[in-house]
Amino acid sequence: MSAQDVLRALAEPRRPAILRLVRDEARSVGEIAAHFDISQQAVSQHLQVLRAAGLVDVRRDGTRRLYRVRPEGLVPLRAFLEELWDDRLDALKREAEREQRSRDEHDQQ
Amino acid sequence: MSTTSSETTAIQREIAIAARPETVWEFLVDPDKAVRWMGRTAEMDARPGGVHRVEVISGNIASGVFVELDPPRRLVYTWGWETGSAAAEVPSGSTTIEIELVPDGDGTTVHFTHRDLPSAESAARHAHGWEHYFERFVAVAEGREPGEDPWLATGGMS
Repeated sequence: MSAQDVLRALAEPRRPAILRLVRDEARSVGEIAAHFDISQQAVSQHLQVLRAAGLVDVRRDGTRRLYRVRPEGLVPLRAFLEELWDDRLDALKREAEREQRSRDEHDQQ
Repeated sequence: MSTTSSETTAIQREIAIAARPETVWEFLVDPDKAVRWMGRTAEMDARPGGVHRVEVISGNIASGVFVELDPPRRLVYTWGWETGSAAAEVPSGSTTIEIELVPDGDGTTVHFTHRDLPSAESAARHAHGWEHYFERFVAVAEGREPGEDPWLATGGMS
């Protein structure tokens, strides 16, 4: 799970709206669906995406499954940036070295 | 990596490149060369106060301004997300990237520092922090402008 997953998970506009609903209170799929003009099944799918991105947790309350925001899910930023810069600096090395080689060859001709 | 305070953190990297500092420098300030490593598109006005804007990943643009240019030795610019939900955590211009190029024979050692990042710990530790970030996070995810973040305006850059 990375910040990119979080970005992707929130790309659909209903998902941040769902997050807001389960911010202070754990709610069931039915309660959440009552706030939208989409089916419970569609809400379940959104919740699955949010859960996979680490943004919500689920717990059982009798026969109901209650969803609630997972605060720490919103802060994987550092890991994302570390990964990003490692990747980009490798690319900088590769490209600058390629450029240098091409200039050195040009100079020798 | 180092932590300057409980509220901000930095990412530091050091990388040896077999190219002269003058060559590496061009990759930092010339948009045509910058896109070869930084992102998909780049807009750079390489002078103090000039705009630095890169589409780092598709649909996610990071921007800031050039602060210090000492070719081919030292470059400082501000950085943060303009778009995408991460803009809630690190808005445009709110953090600082500092790059030093040190000659090493025919090559260059690059010292890269990304500082003034809000630490995850500081945000998650307090309920206050959590609510603060949540509101900004969701606002941006919903496509609204989160407004200036007083928490991130203390990085020392104007």
